[in-house]
Amino acid sequence: MSVAESLAAARPRSSRAVAFLVFAIAIALIAATPFLPNYYIRVIDSLLIYILLGIGLNIVIGYTGLLDLGFVAFYAVGAYSYALLASPQLDLHLPFLLILLVAACLGAITGILLGIPVLRLRGDYLAIVTLGFGEIVRIIINNLDWLTGGPKGIARLDKASILGIQIARPVDFFWLLLVVVLLAGLVAWRLERSILGKAWAAIREDQDAARGIGINTTNAKLAAFATSATIGSIAGAIFGASQRFVSPESFTLQESVLIVLMIVVGGIGNILGIVAGAAILILLPEVLREFAEWRILFLGLLMIFLIIVRPAGIVPRSFGPDKLIGRLFGK
Amino acid sequence: MTLVFDRLRKEYGQVVAIDDVTASFAPGLIHGVIGPNGAGKSTLINMTAGSYTVSSGSIALDGKRLDKLKKYQIANSGVARTYQNIRLFDQMTALENLEVCFYPSDVGGTWKEVLWPPYASARRVHRREKCMEILRFFDLQGHADAEAGSLPYGRQRMLEIARALVCNPRLLLLDEPAAGLNHHETAELTAKLAAQRSPDRITIIVEHDMDLVMALCDNIIVMHHGKLLFQGTPAEVQASTDVQLAYLGTANDIDDIRAAAQDRRAQLGIRTRRRS
Repeated sequence: MSVAESLAAARPRSSRAVAFLVFAIAIALIAATPFLPNYYIRVIDSLLIYILLGIGLNIVIGYTGLLDLGFVAFYAVGAYSYALLASPQLDLHLPFLLILLVAACLGAITGILLGIPVLRLRGDYLAIVTLGFGEIVRIIINNLDWLTGGPKGIARLDKASILGIQIARPVDFFWLLLVVVLLAGLVAWRLERSILGKAWAAIREDQDAARGIGINTTNAKLAAFATSATIGSIAGAIFGASQRFVSPESFTLQESVLIVLMIVVGGIGNILGIVAGAAILILLPEVLREFAEWRILFLGLLMIFLIIVRPAGIVPRSFGPDKLIGRLFGK
Repeated sequence: MTLVFDRLRKEYGQVVAIDDVTASFAPGLIHGVIGPNGAGKSTLINMTAGSYTVSSGSIALDGKRLDKLKKYQIANSGVARTYQNIRLFDQMTALENLEVCFYPSDVGGTWKEVLWPPYASARRVHRREKCMEILRFFDLQGHADAEAGSLPYGRQRMLEIARALVCNPRLLLLDEPAAGLNHHETAELTAKLAAQRSPDRITIIVEHDMDLVMALCDNIIVMHHGKLLFQGTPAEVQASTDVQLAYLGTANDIDDIRAAAQDRRAQLGIRTRRRS
């Protein structure tokens, strides 16, 4: 038997083992989280929020191929929705689930509002305009003192509760975020496999040819912006509820760039990649906390290394969730 | 009913690319559009498919004006096309390249596909069956799961035509389908195009490969300098002296060109190089 043949024979078994290992580690981590100290749970909560943001932004960047650098604006819309509707600021105290719904709708609306003027733009031009949009939203929040409290932000937000169950401890948010991330991931993944997802891919590959086969690119792109913004806004509302304080500082350009980096490093267009990218970019700075001044340098070097070694991302587009599940069950 | 061009015109500033072309194309036939480079053949295709705007005149398919519609609306009116330089969705598989063509009919059920897996798989099975049928017709079934961009050039040409045919268009526009194909592949293409002929379909082929055009087309339009020069059967076109002149020029043309060149040299003060 030649080397190639033996490799080919060994491959299915070993890749199945890898898939099994990935699942085992994921389940072990989930099971262990509630017993960790609060600090670690908070880190994992923030990891989950970033995964959620990544899943949302990936719809526009990964599936539709539009580079959006202003994603943090939708995150801010969601966070401020919660802050305004559940705090002494306007003396409104709406229930958490209702606010999630409002935030989702507001997110979709802002997504479409951003989408309409940028429909004709692609590539660098789109990146610059969306970057401007993100900054405009932040600057408005920063200056609209009477409503948003300006740079001081809004404090003393209500404790969230769902159907009478209070969600206040980091571990509560862990379970909430886990459910939301799984749901958002499932919806995004099924969207990608739907006919709309195929149309997004066609727009990404060749917009003009996509029109040529009868795709209304305007509607398809707006649908991408709207779903992406909805997920971003929901992430924002949960973030607001978990911090119980919001201020413009949380919604800088740096956040947008971080989410884009997560997607690019992890594997553009692939939800598994986003999880990997978020794990590296969110957990590593925590691990490297002791080397405060050096950690950005470490991160930079790591990123250069990853981009050279795996230009398509840690988990490339071709290895999607369906492959992982398929391998696990030996299909 | 048919496809009708009525005094169709395309201008780029002072340049007239298409000069008042009036023609009609009957279903069930394969129409060839030929002419020297720059005659406006591709412009005709691009205007019909909505890639270029129309300066004046009109294009109507079965009585419905196409020139006022957007490109995707034209496609949804039953017009499908291929491109001179292949434009596939490179990073999608061959199968997905065809599957996505069902977007106009299936997009309304997107959320149902997302939320109700049995519906999604039923739709997917339905779409895939239709796509595989076309892939088999073009002998591409073995490449179904290969990325379109990784296929050999000849297969890409075939796949692009398959993509145009998957939704059974009323009007099929092929812009130089044989460009870059070898002899064997051109023969294969000719056979496939002859086999896709259907009584309801208007097929228009812009092509330089005269063997293909003469073998395949029932009706040929000859374009020259943006004008419709001649229209007839392959035999009539081959017999026409006008067509021969347009393609080959006359002995006088060469004298005219030489004289014009000499004038210019004289104006610029360049001495004519004489052959010894």
